[in-house]
Amino acid sequence: MQLNFANYLQHLANALVDKKGLELAYLLSPREEHGKTILKEFRNPTQQSLSYYKGSMESPWDEIAIQYVLVVNHIARNRPIDAFKEECSLVSLFYRYFTTDTGWTLPALFSILRDLRDLACDVALQNGQAGTEGMEEAARVIMKAFTSCVTDRCSPYAESRKWGVYYVVSQILKCYFRIRRISLAKNILRAIDANPDIPALSAYPRSHQVTYRYYIGMLGFLNEDYAKSEQELTLAFYNCHADARQNQERILTYLIPLRVLRGHLPSQDLLSRFPVLDDLYSPFLEAIKRGDIVSYDAALEHLEHRLVQLNVLLTVERARELCLRGLFRKVWAVSDKSTRIAIADFHMALRLSGMEVPMEEAECLVANMIYRGYMKGYISHEKQTVVLSGVNAFPRPADRLSPYSMI
Amino acid sequence: MSANASSSSKVESPAKIAEPHKDDDHPAALGVLEEDDEFEEFPVADWDDAQTDLAHLGGAAPGAAKSGGDKLWEDNWDDDDVEDDFSVQLRNELAKKDAMQH
Repeated sequence: MQLNFANYLQHLANALVDKKGLELAYLLSPREEHGKTILKEFRNPTQQSLSYYKGSMESPWDEIAIQYVLVVNHIARNRPIDAFKEECSLVSLFYRYFTTDTGWTLPALFSILRDLRDLACDVALQNGQAGTEGMEEAARVIMKAFTSCVTDRCSPYAESRKWGVYYVVSQILKCYFRIRRISLAKNILRAIDANPDIPALSAYPRSHQVTYRYYIGMLGFLNEDYAKSEQELTLAFYNCHADARQNQERILTYLIPLRVLRGHLPSQDLLSRFPVLDDLYSPFLEAIKRGDIVSYDAALEHLEHRLVQLNVLLTVERARELCLRGLFRKVWAVSDKSTRIAIADFHMALRLSGMEVPMEEAECLVANMIYRGYMKGYISHEKQTVVLSGVNAFPRPADRLSPYSMI
Repeated sequence: MSANASSSSKVESPAKIAEPHKDDDHPAALGVLEEDDEFEEFPVADWDDAQTDLAHLGGAAPGAAKSGGDKLWEDNWDDDDVEDDFSVQLRNELAKKDAMQH
């Protein structure tokens, strides 16, 4: 839309009267066509030169419109730090209105918070360390939106600002993840728990649910709360739009090793849809299915760098115990599923797999497998024999109770 | 990891029969996934079950595997095939060991 500033003010006023949230979002977006056409009127717009327009609209919209011009100008002149600062002011002015009305402006709120974060990213790209400060500042500014959403006690339920809570929180978490300060997330999650009158997450639009669950799942993953993480990432994956492949791929990157740990291997149906994940995880999955420790360890070595980059090395290393279970199951299978197997036989299997360990360690590995529920039986140390259960000596890993509790 | 490195071992390490890795020289070729990528904004706010992978579940709750109705996850991969190379080798070695003890 081609607009001069006077038209722009008129459009803003109309959007306010008609309570058109999406229109408002569009008008405040700095990278739209109208931003460029408005700029043509002003040679070098400043706070001062634009002060002429103060009072041209109901406050704070006059100042918001002025801030908008300043932001657009700084972006056009490639001054990300200034653009970011002016956008911070724009957002703060917006809050003045936002907190006084129902949630009809939420689409505009989401849009300007997104712009704020984008601009903080631009600052980071240009400034390195100083960029981190920008992102922290963005998180602080967005936090105020959270407070305003949560504390809406007047609006009717359907139009409550509370419907912005999870989107806003996800934006804050995105900031924290970006600058790797995930410990900061605790405060905001505590604030959510402390507000029982926030509607249930499942009542929110799916885009809000999925994004929020992804970040909660990631926090659980990185804090090694695997049970929680697996639950959240599973819901994130299944509720994600199937066309949002990149997002599905990101969710699965973390969900796959967690599901493997509880005995669920991704099927070929699933992997064939995500070739990147197929390449990354198939060597491990094949090795687990064959009880092939040599291949598992070779894959760990080969892909270590990649696994570290993605923060999944630890979980993939832990999943090695499923591979070991497969190896021990082979010993049992070639022994005609005998209920008595010498520890020396397990020792032999380890040696054949390239693990040159003393007999005591083989015994220890078997003991560990039993303790972790991968094998049913006990060890007779005197007889150096493993006595296995006559039924279901190697339960399916998926049947282990609380698979993450002993990690 | 070579069996020859261990003087006491007469067995051939199956390391040699393990599958060679694809793209040995280019682990970075996995590429598309970047650790700094962010979870992307969705272009639409809301959608139906039919546009998600819930459609694959056939009514099962998310979190199940194949035996619970979800085809995307395997929970039953054990096979009792004892004729693969490793099992044959293992059986032979165990038989040899038993023969020496008796």
